[in-house]
Amino acid sequence: MLDRLRFVPARLLQSVPVVFGVTVVVFFMVHLLPGNPALTILGQTATPDRVAALNTQLGLDKPLVDQYFIFLGRLFRGSLGDSLTYQRPVLELVLQAIPITLSLLVFALVLSLVISVPLAALAATAPGRGRDLAVRVFTLLGQGMPQFWVGIMLILLLGVKLRLFPVGGYGMTFGEHPYYLFLPALTLAIAMSPTTIRSLRASTINVLGSDYVGTARSKGAAGVSLFRGHVLRNAAIPTVSIIGVNLGYLVGGSLVIEKVFAIPGLGSLMINAIFTRDFPTIQAVALFVALFVIVVGILTDVVYTLIDPRVDLSSKERA
Amino acid sequence: MTTAVATAARAMRRPARSRSLRPWYRNGTLVAGLVIVGLLLLAAVLAPLLTPFDPIEQDLQNALQSPSGSHWLGTDKYGRDVLTRLLYGARVDLRIGFLAVLIPFVVGSVLGALAGYFGGWFDVVVMRIVDVFFAFPFYVLVIVLVFVLGAGESSIYLAIAAVSWVSYAKIMRGELLVAKKQDYVVAARLGGMSHGRVLIRHITPNVLSQALIYAMSDIVMDIMAIVTLGYLGLGIAPPTAEWGSMILDGQEFITTQFLQATIPGLAVVVTSLGLSLLGDGLSDLLSPERRK
Amino acid sequence: MTRSTRIRSAGIAAVAAVTLAACGGGSSGGSSSSAAGSSGPVEGGDLTIARAADIISMDKTTTFDNNSIYVMEQIMEPLFTVSADGTKVEPWLATDYAMSDDKLTYTIKLRDGVTFSTGAPMTAKDVKFSIDEDTKTGADGWGFINTAIDSVEATDDSTVTVKLKYPWAPLLADLSLFSNGVIPADYGGKTAEEFYQAPVGTGPFIWNEWKKGQYVKIDKNPDYWGEKGPYLDSVTWTVVPDANTRKLQVQGGQVDIDEFPDWSSFSSLKDSPGITATAFPSTRIDYVAFNEQKTPFSDVHVRRAIAYALDRESMVKSVLYGNGSAADSLLSPGTPYYAKNPDAPNLDVDKAKAELAQSSAAGGFSTSITINAGDPNQASVAQIMQSELKELGITLEIKTLDPTALKQARNSGDFNMIISGWTMDIPDPDEWTSFAVDPEGGSHSAYTYYDNPEVIALNKQAQAETDDAKRADLYQQLQEKTASDAWAAYLYYSPYAYATTDKVQGFHVTPLGNYHLEDVYKTQ
Repeated sequence: MLDRLRFVPARLLQSVPVVFGVTVVVFFMVHLLPGNPALTILGQTATPDRVAALNTQLGLDKPLVDQYFIFLGRLFRGSLGDSLTYQRPVLELVLQAIPITLSLLVFALVLSLVISVPLAALAATAPGRGRDLAVRVFTLLGQGMPQFWVGIMLILLLGVKLRLFPVGGYGMTFGEHPYYLFLPALTLAIAMSPTTIRSLRASTINVLGSDYVGTARSKGAAGVSLFRGHVLRNAAIPTVSIIGVNLGYLVGGSLVIEKVFAIPGLGSLMINAIFTRDFPTIQAVALFVALFVIVVGILTDVVYTLIDPRVDLSSKERA
Repeated sequence: MTTAVATAARAMRRPARSRSLRPWYRNGTLVAGLVIVGLLLLAAVLAPLLTPFDPIEQDLQNALQSPSGSHWLGTDKYGRDVLTRLLYGARVDLRIGFLAVLIPFVVGSVLGALAGYFGGWFDVVVMRIVDVFFAFPFYVLVIVLVFVLGAGESSIYLAIAAVSWVSYAKIMRGELLVAKKQDYVVAARLGGMSHGRVLIRHITPNVLSQALIYAMSDIVMDIMAIVTLGYLGLGIAPPTAEWGSMILDGQEFITTQFLQATIPGLAVVVTSLGLSLLGDGLSDLLSPERRK
Repeated sequence: MTRSTRIRSAGIAAVAAVTLAACGGGSSGGSSSSAAGSSGPVEGGDLTIARAADIISMDKTTTFDNNSIYVMEQIMEPLFTVSADGTKVEPWLATDYAMSDDKLTYTIKLRDGVTFSTGAPMTAKDVKFSIDEDTKTGADGWGFINTAIDSVEATDDSTVTVKLKYPWAPLLADLSLFSNGVIPADYGGKTAEEFYQAPVGTGPFIWNEWKKGQYVKIDKNPDYWGEKGPYLDSVTWTVVPDANTRKLQVQGGQVDIDEFPDWSSFSSLKDSPGITATAFPSTRIDYVAFNEQKTPFSDVHVRRAIAYALDRESMVKSVLYGNGSAADSLLSPGTPYYAKNPDAPNLDVDKAKAELAQSSAAGGFSTSITINAGDPNQASVAQIMQSELKELGITLEIKTLDPTALKQARNSGDFNMIISGWTMDIPDPDEWTSFAVDPEGGSHSAYTYYDNPEVIALNKQAQAETDDAKRADLYQQLQEKTASDAWAAYLYYSPYAYATTDKVQGFHVTPLGNYHLEDVYKTQ
């Protein structure tokens, strides 16, 4: 069993240059942004002289390459530096935002499964028939809707017209969070389900046509119990990798969705930091997001390997 | 995001069991896609003939009107006809969507093909760069790049090109890894044909179809990106009609005039529906035998 | 003294609110503590204010962000404060002052019995420390506002002596700025950085908690020196960037106050049952700045032509939805020494054409205006200008930049026209006029590169003039001269928009934007 996980150390090693590449790209990209944080910090009294003075104080007048090595040096010592606008450690800000974004993602994932599994089952048990077509139309529409627009429509329908859910924010207490996160999570779930449904539908059709389902049927298993006991488990295998990929995609989507729903997660932190040119914060968020995508990628393959005895990634050729 | 769509494209191809013997016009999906996309293109091209109004000229006296006989979808806060702006918006969004695909398609395919065919250090370098770009979610990178480059059409092309070439590279590399072991390629090489000729004459025609099919879903994504940038205020500058900025403008009036934000979104949905159907149909047509 | 001052400001607040309701055609908001009618102030309750952005810092000496300032003003208080109508300075932690005959020494008496929320009494030593710390920041903070101050001495426990380098009329206004707010000497034994993580002052509220990006919360100071208030148990500002979401939240009762709804939200909030939407007069002036380094804007006729071509009334109608008024001066009506100027350029297409005809660009020209990408008001103004200037043969291209890039372009003179605005921080025109018309103000005359020696001289005289009538005259001349020079094309004066649920009482905003939350209470 563990033998088949021997690709993990190699993958971890491979991600080192990737992470390094990410720091280079992010660092130089954000420093190419026109303008600097002093302009924002000083507000309407930001005269050129005072901007220059503050830039010196913030260390932003040094050559870019020097700044990069200062950043890298700090990173090696385990520090992400201080936010330029808040003058507080960036880590503090990021750690405050991560649980929010993470719970949004998990919530969205759960909702997307709640949507996808029944729909895929409906479609797969009658391929080519009416309900299969209906599900197909749903997936095509789901894929074609801009996420932020879905968010606006949900706000309009469930928030404004029906007044079922709050229209934005995260809530103040622990009990309020799920209630506040429902609409944004649903928005992300709607964006995420089409690919899950398609994959699940296709693999379910495959599994339904296979020998062991026939055997189970002949032994008297039928309906929901057949589906749950035999089909779903096997059909889920290829879907796992799709969900893994989707999670990375969701992180990007949540950036815009957090803006639409005013959720103070990583996305909002990032967008604000971009607007105020808070370089260390942008770098930190980008770094965490990249790490997240890489780790999810590896974890997906681990899960994939563990639940499917046939997979051996150590001999994988196609990237 | 790009991988997700690539995976989706693969997933949607799976059920397409061999229906290859039918002529293309019997392929319902393809025809439906062609009709929708064709009508949209027609509407975009003929926009000036389809509506008596100007998309930019303001008429502040008639601002924020509800749908009526003369303004079928009402007017916006500057008194401009919403339907007119929708039609002219199609020009902008479709043009950018289609054009934005070209550079990444060419650059990504070439780099991916070379990496897959030659392997070695070139492959390693290209694929590590691809990994770096893949480690960022699509939107994050496009948004930051547009910030760096400044809002506007040329920035959008550049940002999208910089981000989405990696998907083509990945797809083409995968195809090449398979293709270069095929008998006909091995035979051609043994027959003394140069690498260049093998690549261009024998491999490209066979593997390009995957990139082409992906390009259809990529156009959808690009249009989404353009609309999203417009919504964030980083797209095409006002007063040009563009669906994303129309949604942004309309959002102000969501409780009073909800059509203003709803209609441009629906236009995006119809457009991506048409393009998705077209992509599905193409994949049925071009690679019906593929299972994965 | 305490009592009378506070009651007087309350009275003015009520009058202001009534006048406003009359011309705004809307609500009855901003009613002051005594005016509520039936039962009077209610103790208790938590107030939630939704606003577009987070606070940045509580460091009063280096923070320029209004969101932060409105919060710190509830905790740290200055010696003087601005009156409810924004035109006068009133004693606050001080009770009285005397000016020497040479106008160089001010002796200020401190209020008795004021304590910090830690329980320690406020003394002259604390005041000296607080003002000195601000002065020290110099160009990196609000220190520039204290440039005229030579020294601050604690004469005895309840007397402070301020010596000036030269006669300086705006001194009391400067001392009313939050940056000169009083904090414990030596930061109560902490470092400045530690102190501002949880600031301590004499104010009606005390620091509770700040979840960055989410909310900031302050609690009632039960031992507040004031005779009335605070009534609320706590106040929380939540961050809700989207104007539409804020509107829906206040309509649904999720929050009590929507801070700065956009104008389209505001007009629909006015019609919402259970909501009071109030437009408080402000000191804000919005204008189109010309880059006079660039042709043809160095030509006064071109600038005037554009100033005459703008239909301000229709902008007020379509951009501000009727809330506000056309601008005719670089000062706003809420600023002391504002003088109505009927001769300021206003919509007159014939005059505009005549001005352009005698300019260096008689046949018209192509130019651009750069706007803030996320600002719907600027997008509206620019699009309206575009169609108005077309009539003069001026082709206007609209460019968008994100806010910081726009500031960068402005600071480096990389623009033709931009839309800009200013709000006062102190109840004195000098902060703004020195910035706007004197290149020595550090900003090349608010980035216009306007340089008229006559106007600069007027501004300098007004700084040193302590006689009220003479000062008013100087500022009137300055306003007339800048208008006829078309220093900028004035657009409109926009008020501060607030929407509150009907439960909120006693909420009033001064023209400088600050509010006294100790007067606020929630019914029911």
